[in-house]
Amino acid sequence: MHAVTEDEEKWLAAGITGLQQNAFYMHRALDSNNLKDALKYSAQMLSELRTSRLSPQKYYELYMRAFDELRKLEMFFREETKRGCSVVELYELVQHAGNILPRLYLLCTVGSVYIKSKEAPAKDILKDLVEMSRGIQHPLRGLFLRSYLSQVSRDKLPDLGSEYEGDADTVSDAVEFVLQNFTEMNKLWVRMQHQGPAREKEKREKERSELRDLVGKNLHVLSQIEGVDLDMYRETVLPRILEQVVNCKDEIAQGYLMDCIIQVFPDEYHLQTLETLLGAFPQLQPSVDIKMVLSRLMERLSNYAASSADVLPEFFQVEAFAKLSSAISKVIEAQDDMPVFGVVTLYSSLLTFTLQVHPDRLDYVDQILGACVKKLSGKGKLEDNKSRKQIVALLSAPLEKYNDIDTALKLSNYPNVMEYLDDGTKKEMASVIIQSIMKNKSLISTSEKVEALFELIKGLIKDLEENLLELDEEDFHEEQNSVARLIQMLHNDDPEEMLKIITTVKKHILTGGAKRLPFTVPPLIFNSLKLIRRLQNQEETVADEDASATPRKIFQLLNQIIEALSSVPKPELALRLYLQCAEAADDCDLEPVAYEFFTQAYLLYEEEISDSKSQVTAMHLIIGTLQRMHVFGVENRDTLTHKATGYSAKLLKKPDQCRAVYACSHLFWVDDQDSIKDGERVLLCLKRALRIANAVQQMANATRGSSGSVLLFIEILNKYLYFFEKGVTQITVASVQSLIELITNEMQGENSTSDPTADAFFASTLRFIQFQKDKGGAVGERYEAIKL
Amino acid sequence: MASRRRMLLKVIILGDSGVGKTSLMNQYVNRKFSNQYKATIGADFLTKEVQFEDRLYTLQIWDTAGQERFQSLGVAFYRGADCCVLVYDVNVMKSFENLNNWREEFLLQASPSDPENFPFIVLGNKVDIDGGNSRVISEKKAKAWCASKGNIPYFETSAKEGFNVEAAFQCIARNALKNEPEEELYLPDTIDVSGGQQQRSTGCEC
Repeated sequence: MHAVTEDEEKWLAAGITGLQQNAFYMHRALDSNNLKDALKYSAQMLSELRTSRLSPQKYYELYMRAFDELRKLEMFFREETKRGCSVVELYELVQHAGNILPRLYLLCTVGSVYIKSKEAPAKDILKDLVEMSRGIQHPLRGLFLRSYLSQVSRDKLPDLGSEYEGDADTVSDAVEFVLQNFTEMNKLWVRMQHQGPAREKEKREKERSELRDLVGKNLHVLSQIEGVDLDMYRETVLPRILEQVVNCKDEIAQGYLMDCIIQVFPDEYHLQTLETLLGAFPQLQPSVDIKMVLSRLMERLSNYAASSADVLPEFFQVEAFAKLSSAISKVIEAQDDMPVFGVVTLYSSLLTFTLQVHPDRLDYVDQILGACVKKLSGKGKLEDNKSRKQIVALLSAPLEKYNDIDTALKLSNYPNVMEYLDDGTKKEMASVIIQSIMKNKSLISTSEKVEALFELIKGLIKDLEENLLELDEEDFHEEQNSVARLIQMLHNDDPEEMLKIITTVKKHILTGGAKRLPFTVPPLIFNSLKLIRRLQNQEETVADEDASATPRKIFQLLNQIIEALSSVPKPELALRLYLQCAEAADDCDLEPVAYEFFTQAYLLYEEEISDSKSQVTAMHLIIGTLQRMHVFGVENRDTLTHKATGYSAKLLKKPDQCRAVYACSHLFWVDDQDSIKDGERVLLCLKRALRIANAVQQMANATRGSSGSVLLFIEILNKYLYFFEKGVTQITVASVQSLIELITNEMQGENSTSDPTADAFFASTLRFIQFQKDKGGAVGERYEAIKL
Repeated sequence: MASRRRMLLKVIILGDSGVGKTSLMNQYVNRKFSNQYKATIGADFLTKEVQFEDRLYTLQIWDTAGQERFQSLGVAFYRGADCCVLVYDVNVMKSFENLNNWREEFLLQASPSDPENFPFIVLGNKVDIDGGNSRVISEKKAKAWCASKGNIPYFETSAKEGFNVEAAFQCIARNALKNEPEEELYLPDTIDVSGGQQQRSTGCEC
C-alpha cells in the first residue's frame, strides 16, 4: 500500500512537470499572440490529464493546475475574439487537437467564450458540449471533464433573469442541460463499480466515494437555478433525479444521492413533494442505509419546523406526520433484517420531528413508541451499545420537550419501551428521568403517578433479574441519593392523597433490599413526618373521624418502615429514626405511640448495638430525646429514665460511663416542666458520676503510676454549677466548694500529669464563677458564698 | 504573461455549514438572496469583474461545502488562493469557535509561502436576525480574535439585506491584490523538452 502511494506521488510529480512544461510554452505563445502554438501547447498540456495512474484526489490536484491554466487561455480567447477572430471559427479550430480529451477541454473553454459572445443561443452550445462529452467513457476522466463543463457553464446557464435567458422557455433548457450532465456522470460513476478485478472492490469503492461530489455537484447546481420553482421541481427536476437514482440500482449512488437531494433542495420543496420523495425509498437497494438518509430528512424538517411557528401550517397541510410515519413503516417492513439500531434510529428521528411539529399530539408520540415496541418485541433485550444509546435518546426526547414527567407518564407505551432495555440501561434511563424531575422541579402529586414513576425507575429501586455486575460503590451511592431526593420531592396538599403516596413509595422501597434501604427509608420517614406536622397543626380545627390520614395511622406505617431496617441490619440508623418518630409523637400528644418508639429504640440498644462507640452515641441520643419529651406520665417516664441511667452506668469505658451518668441528671430537672424537678435524683446522678471519676483516677494510678486527667471532675463541677444556679437545693455551696478544692489538690498533687486542656477548662470555669459573683443580683448573691 | 495572471484574483470562502457562504457570494455576485437553506456540494466558483485604479480584475470566488461529507475530493482548489474569507454566524457560538480550525486547515492545506502575512478576512454574518438580539458573539469579541491573528480585517454582514457585503468584498479584492503570489517559476529543461512525455501517457486513446 505504501509503495503504491509513493509511486502515485511520483506519477503526480511527473504529470505536474509535464503540465508546467507545456504551460510555459503556452504562456509564451499567449504573450506573442500565437494562436496556433497556444492551441498546440495547451493540448499537450491537457494530455497529462489522460493518465490512468492517479487516484481521484491526486488526479484532482493535477486537474486543478490544468484548470488554472485554462482560465488564462480562456482570457486569451476572449481577447482574440475582441481582436476580430471569430469565435465560431475558434470553436471549429480547437477541434483539430489530436486527442479527444484535450480537444473536449479546449472545446468547453472556447464554448464558455462562445456563450459569452452571445453569437449563438446558450442552450445550443451547451447541448452540443454535453453531447460531445459522451466521447469520454473512461469514468474518472469523463467525470472530471463533465465537471469542468459544469463549472465553466455555471454562470452562463439560461436561467431566469440571466443575461443568457432567451425568449422561449429557456429555464427548462438550463435544467435539461444540467440533468443530462448529471445523468451521464452518474452512469460513469456507477460503471466504475463494475470495472476491474473483484479483489480491488474496496479500492474501487474508496475511489468512487472520493468522486461522489462531482456527481452530487450537479444537484447543487440545479438547486441554485432560480427558475427551478416548486412546480418545475415537482414536475421535472425531482422525478428525473429520482428516476436516475432508482434505476441505477447502485447502493453507493443511491444512498449518497438521496442524501444530496435532501440537503441541497429547500425544506418547502421537500414538504410539498414528500410523497414522491418518500415513494422512492422502498425502491432502493436493500443494502442502502435508508435509516441514515431518512433520519437526515426528518432532522432537516424538524429544524425547519423549529425555525418559526409560521411554517407549521405547511406541515399540517401536507400531513407530513402521516406520510413520514407510513414511509417508515414501509421501509421497516420491506427491510426485514434491518438491525434494531436502524429501527430505533428511525423512530427516534420521527419522534423528534413529531415533538417539534405536533407538540400537542401526545397520541402521535405514544403511537411511535407503540410501533417501536411492536418492532422490538420478539427481539429480546437490546444487546448492542449503539441501540441502547439510541433508545435512551428516544425516551429522553419527550422528557426534554415537555420538561415535565407528568406528560411522559401519560404515554402508555413509554414503560413498554423500557422493558426492552437491559438492566444497566434501565438504570441509566431512570437516572435521566430523576434528573429531569429535579431540573424542572416537577411535582408528582398523585399516588397513581408515583406508582407509574416508580415502575419506570425500578432499575434503581430494586435488584433486577440479571444484576450480576458488581456496581461501583460511588456510582451506587450517587444513584441512591438521587432516589432519596426524589422521595423528598413527592408532595400533595391533600393529606389523604399524600398518605397514599407514602404507602405507594413504601411498597416499592421495601423491595429494594439491604443495600438500598438505608438510602430510601430516611427520606420516606422524614417526608411522612412532614405530613404528620401538617396534620398536627390542622387537627385542632378539623376533627374528621373517618379520615385515614391521622398521625396515629401514619405512625403505624412508620413503625413498619423502620422495622425493615432490621433486615439490613442498620440498628444505629433505625434507633435514630425511632427517636425522631418518638419526638413527633410527643408533639402529637400520643403517649402510647411515643412510648412504643422508645421501647423499640431501647430494644435495639440492648440487642443490636454492641459496639461500645455506637453505644455511647446512642446513649446520648436517647438521653437528649428523652429529656425533651413532655408526653410521658410519671410511670412511663420513670421506666424510661431508670433504664437510661442503668444503661449509662453499664457502658464499657469508665469515662463514658461517667459522662453518660452525669448527662442523665438532666432527665430529673427540666426547666419548663414542673413535674420534673427532682433534686435528690439529680444529686444522686452527679454523686455517682463523681464516684466513677474517682475510680478512673485510681485505675490510672494503678495501671500507669500517675493520676489521670482531672477533666472529668471539671466537667462534673460544671454540672454542679448548672444545677446550683437553677436553685436545686440539694446542690449546696459546700459541695461545690469541696469539688473545687478536690480539683485543685488533684492538679497540684505529686502524681498529677499536666494536661493543658484541663488547666484551661478549669481556669475558665473559675473565671465564670468570678464573673457570676461580680454580676450582682440574685445570681451574684448565690455565687457570693463560693470562695475561690 | 504575469499581467494576465494578475488579472485573476482567487478567493476562497470557508466556514461552518449554514453560516451563509453561498448567500454572501450570491448577494455579492448576483444581488440575490434566498432564505432557503441549500447545502453546497464540493466547491465551485462564481466570477465578478472588479475595477481598481482603472484596471479590471476578475474575482474568482470559491464557495465551499461547510459539511465535511460533501468535500470528498479534498481541497486541491485552495492552491493559488489570493485571499481566504472566513465566515461565521454571529448567532451561533460554534461557528465562531471553529474559525480557528478553518484558518489552520487552510494554512496547512494551501501552504502559502508566507503564512504570517497571508490575507484573511473574517465576516460575521446574519447580523440582521432578530434585530441582533439573538447574537451570541459581540463585535468586540470577534475583533479581538481577529486582532490576535495578525489584525485580520473584520466585517459584520447581512447577506439577506446586503448589508456591508459590497464593502467586505471590496476589502477582500484589495487584500487579494496585495498578496504577492508565488509564481511557480518554471524554467524548461532546454536540452530535452518533450522526450519522456509520450512514455508517461498510458491508458486508452482518449
